[in-house]
Amino acid sequence: MVIRATGLTKVYQGIDGAPPVRVLDGVDLEARPGQVVAVIGESGSGKSTLLNLLGLLEPADAGEIWFDGERVSHLGRRAQCRVRGTRIGYVFQAFLLIGSLTALDNVLLAARYVGRDRGEAEREALALMERMGVAHRRGHYPAQLSGGEQQRVAFCRAVLNAPPLVLADEPTGNVDDVHARVILAELRAQARERGAVVILVTHRAEAAAEADASLRLSAGRLVP
Amino acid sequence: MRRLRLFPKGYGFTVLGIAVGMAGLVALGAMGERISRFIEGGDRFVLGQISVAGEGMGMGAGFTAGGLLPAARIAEIARVPGVAVVQPQVMLPISTSTSHFLTVTQELVMGVDPAAPPANRHYRALALRSGRALAAGDRRVAVVGTDFAASRKLAVGATLPIGGLEFTVVGILDKTLTAPDRFAMLPLEDARDLWLRRDPLLFRVFGSGGLARTDLNSGAAVGWQEGVDPDELARRIQATVPGVNVTIPGELSRLLRTSTAFFSALLVGIGALGLVIGGLSLANTVTAAVFERIRDFGVKRALGATDAQLLREVLGEALGVSLWGVGLGVLLALAIGTAVDWRTLRDGQQLFYFSPRLLTFAFVFAVLLGGLAAAYATLRIARLSPAEAIRRGA
Repeated sequence: MVIRATGLTKVYQGIDGAPPVRVLDGVDLEARPGQVVAVIGESGSGKSTLLNLLGLLEPADAGEIWFDGERVSHLGRRAQCRVRGTRIGYVFQAFLLIGSLTALDNVLLAARYVGRDRGEAEREALALMERMGVAHRRGHYPAQLSGGEQQRVAFCRAVLNAPPLVLADEPTGNVDDVHARVILAELRAQARERGAVVILVTHRAEAAAEADASLRLSAGRLVP
Repeated sequence: MRRLRLFPKGYGFTVLGIAVGMAGLVALGAMGERISRFIEGGDRFVLGQISVAGEGMGMGAGFTAGGLLPAARIAEIARVPGVAVVQPQVMLPISTSTSHFLTVTQELVMGVDPAAPPANRHYRALALRSGRALAAGDRRVAVVGTDFAASRKLAVGATLPIGGLEFTVVGILDKTLTAPDRFAMLPLEDARDLWLRRDPLLFRVFGSGGLARTDLNSGAAVGWQEGVDPDELARRIQATVPGVNVTIPGELSRLLRTSTAFFSALLVGIGALGLVIGGLSLANTVTAAVFERIRDFGVKRALGATDAQLLREVLGEALGVSLWGVGLGVLLALAIGTAVDWRTLRDGQQLFYFSPRLLTFAFVFAVLLGGLAAAYATLRIARLSPAEAIRRGA
């Protein structure tokens, strides 16, 4: 799936008379299947906002997002839900696992909302968890897992439906170097093995260096 | 398919919060039901018979308070067109020293002829908790109301002293939640003996030969034939039989309702208070529980959940949480009510009545309000973008 974004702009309105903040200002982007794109920049440069817009987690104030020939940024609420569930996998920096669900149920959450058969999804989830080294923790709750384990469970959830677009927002920000390398390797494997587009926000120089392309953001704009 | 859990994980405090509110609602409701049943029972009783007493004043109590109602008058009443049955009665206060404190929970002796057909349409036969009913030919026996028995620790076979006479308890009535709970029902002849022992003036008149035993009635309950208007019949008896005081069932019912208007108002107040306490507690707890999970909703929407899917999920959880909350609340209220009643029943009082309609209402109320509160909170959250929901829940 080819991802194309043009003129993405996001402005957060100021509260109590504070001036509005233009977080993204006319960002263009294109990524092809199998490509890993690193987005780098200082804190507050708009990296996470860019990922949120690409992941349809919030609407852009201007600009368009296209998945192949479909302009997904302008779809209705329900259609965007379908796109998020079937075509986008999101790895958050803070893992964002549901505390009341076990590790396995957290992974299976990705299958629940797209109507997948639970049995089939469970087999795939366990295989993924096995690969990521967390299958033995399937019955544990997030609070009982280490940070590295939580991020690997979150990764399994993001890729369970084999989405053609994987968005990872500083996925190694809260884990140690060993687990960071595992996560980064698996993200690259998603692009290499099944042709997913991986867009990765990172502060790690080695992650950016190993990416197929790098975008640097500064004050909401792409800079060379 | 989702796996079902017996208890919604992570909702312990929510369930507890709802339980406390619902316990308040159910306990207040049970007190209201208790008052309501008492008033309704009295109303049913007065609308089920025409009560007639002799003209003037006497020692009679309850519905037959008034002067003597001699046998000749009873025979005249029986001849009035429309009358089906006349049941002579003697009603006396258990304790003469407190007879002037006419309260709605007065303990009464009710002397009836077990061989005569019952006159009250709504109380043809009173259900028994244990023992048997009065039978023709019985003497020195009593069937007592449940509160009457509880306050004196009476069981079937126990001896009950009243006014210097001793009676063997042969039956204990089932709970009626109204006047008969505090009755001691005696054979008519025994009640007449009691009356004579208690009223020296009556004794002297009786001893002088001026009265026969069959004249010793404090009143009578009159039943009517099918299709007869009881109020009209009561007026006809008053007009055609001299020397009697007749109560008009409809008027008495209205009078009863007027005199219990305070209790009815109290009932409305209790009900409103219970609904506000229980309702606010439940709605607030469920809404807070949903808002607490705002980040989870953001994540779920990031995973593709639609508004309808989220709403269905939340309503399912709210249903589970509400049912657990109301279930525990009812158990808590039952425990409190039973403990309090255990203490007050020793004085012959029951303060709580957990009626099936009250419990059904509590469950329906909790589920509906819980669902509404959950739906409101979910729709509020659904207006946010997934990213905003995650940010706010962080």
